[in-house]
Amino acid sequence: MNPCIIPKIPIDIQGDNRWMSQHERHVSEAKEREPDVIMIGDSIIQKLQSSPIWNDLFEPLHCLNFGISGDITQGVLWRIQNGILDNIKPKACVLHVGTNNFGNTPEEISEGILTIIKEIKSKLPECYIILLDLLPRGARPNPLRVRNSKVNEIIHEKVKSISRLEVITVNTGLLQSDDTLSAQDMLDYLHPTDTCYRKIFEPVHELLLQILGEAKDLDKELVGTQ
Amino acid sequence: MHVKEIMKMVLSQRQREELNKAIADYLSSNSYHNALEGLKKDADMPGEVENKYGGLLEKKWTSVIRLQKKVVSELESKLSEYEKEINSGAPKRALRSPSDWIPRAPETHCLTGHRETVIKVIFHPVFNILVSASEDATIKSWDYETGEYERTLKGHTEAIQDIAFDESGKLLVSCSADMTIKLWDFSQTYECIRSMHGHEHSVSGVCFLKGGDFIVSSSRDKTIKMWEVNTGYCVKTFTGHREWVRKVKVSPCGQFLASCSNDHTVKVWIISATQCKADLRGHEHVVECIAWAPAASSSAINEGAGVDQKKNGYEGPFIISGSRDKSIKMWDVASRSCLFTMIGHDNWVRGLVFHPGGKYVISASDDKTLRIWDLANKRNMKTLLAHGHFCTTVDFHRSQPFVITGSVDKTIKVWDCR
Repeated sequence: MNPCIIPKIPIDIQGDNRWMSQHERHVSEAKEREPDVIMIGDSIIQKLQSSPIWNDLFEPLHCLNFGISGDITQGVLWRIQNGILDNIKPKACVLHVGTNNFGNTPEEISEGILTIIKEIKSKLPECYIILLDLLPRGARPNPLRVRNSKVNEIIHEKVKSISRLEVITVNTGLLQSDDTLSAQDMLDYLHPTDTCYRKIFEPVHELLLQILGEAKDLDKELVGTQ
Repeated sequence: MHVKEIMKMVLSQRQREELNKAIADYLSSNSYHNALEGLKKDADMPGEVENKYGGLLEKKWTSVIRLQKKVVSELESKLSEYEKEINSGAPKRALRSPSDWIPRAPETHCLTGHRETVIKVIFHPVFNILVSASEDATIKSWDYETGEYERTLKGHTEAIQDIAFDESGKLLVSCSADMTIKLWDFSQTYECIRSMHGHEHSVSGVCFLKGGDFIVSSSRDKTIKMWEVNTGYCVKTFTGHREWVRKVKVSPCGQFLASCSNDHTVKVWIISATQCKADLRGHEHVVECIAWAPAASSSAINEGAGVDQKKNGYEGPFIISGSRDKSIKMWDVASRSCLFTMIGHDNWVRGLVFHPGGKYVISASDDKTLRIWDLANKRNMKTLLAHGHFCTTVDFHRSQPFVITGSVDKTIKVWDCR
């Protein structure tokens, strides 16, 4: 059996129960707030909240962030089956998870991501999903980077038939001509810097605006000036 | 599904198809047959292009420039207005009639102390006090002239959603996500004198009826309830909304209630008959806030509606509503119709209050601004960037030149009016 598709609470290696505390906070936020947009996933999603574009672009959309640092596909699956999607009707959901699934094959990880997509669709059938490619990692080419690219390839092929889903590809935009990652984009060669977040998430924001029907308003305005 | 590259403009699938068809129309009307055939093949777009795409590309091409010019000219006129204000100073209070006083930047006080979102601010009807309610489950009172903090009322266990005074200002009522309504003595002890249980979900709106013997409340359980102040008993339940009822407000005459809901409607109820009198539809999203117009607003509202008040004017009563669809709508209860809609906010409209003089309405929004609307001209006459985060609530003092606002940034601001 593929471990990536089995919902599971991660083992609390460090012993301070932070994963669960964060999950409980997310559940109570979901209960009280009425988000139009949610973001689910790992540290790439979570740390967006401390980047300036979170305040500029995403908070005004009534967006909740359910990212937990270090989370893997099984953890995300457990969380969406245990409360974070109850009580809310978001119009869009942004997803990035899988880069922390160490020891799993690209096939296993991509199946995990697809299972998460299916689970979100069954809980929120109207919700539009924006899937972020797994970001490249490591300063120079390495097996994990190859693994992430392979996951993206499989995913691109498999989600073609899924409606109300868009994939944002990231890989090509970040690698330099010699295949290295710049420290200006990722200081630790894993997490985006503020400028890199802007590069990756501005198109996500554009797409969200359209999904939320903002584009319609601009159309109206264009017609009004004629 | 479509794969998108970063650092490119992104279009939704529908927009992409429209653009392809508009290009095809352009190529065909200019007889660029080779390119047209190539495009049809590449974009997998067999057959003729429908008529509705005729000239669309050219139209967009020119209208973007027109829109730019329009925006620039609006910005320039605003800039010159502000320059004038800087050079000559804002108008002096003494030179303007109280009915024209409007809030001016910067704020006179920024009050900090709440640990979570400030959800509601109101003026005390008698003393120089404002009261704030927060998601931190506390109510705080402040002197709005000096900016001094006075006291905190504790008792609720979850986010407070609404507060209101009775006419004398001796009783304060509050409601909360903890599903209770609490009555507070605001003349001597400042203690909770009664808790009312009965709603089955968050209570999000509350106010006193005329005379002060009863309280009405609205809840996420889809009902409105009426409570007797003396006993704390629930004496009536109004049902009819299909979703969460956000706010409930009693009419100036005391006979009606207005309520607004997540079901996109505003409803008016006859209190004595426990009956729905009007169902006002038009908003396209959750209706967040409502306010009854004072008698002083009638002539401005009729002018805004484009009718002569003396001949065939609307008699009212009038209700104004603000919604997550970003619009503000004015309703006439007697004819059950929407008189006009005011657009300008870029995000949810969260709070509305009439100017005591009747000519204006002030609104608070998640676009972080406070806007002043001229009712007769249906015009957004002034915009203040009020807070660093969503602006959730606004109140205007009935006789003194002060406006107060609250925000998700946890602060309360006091604005001087001139």
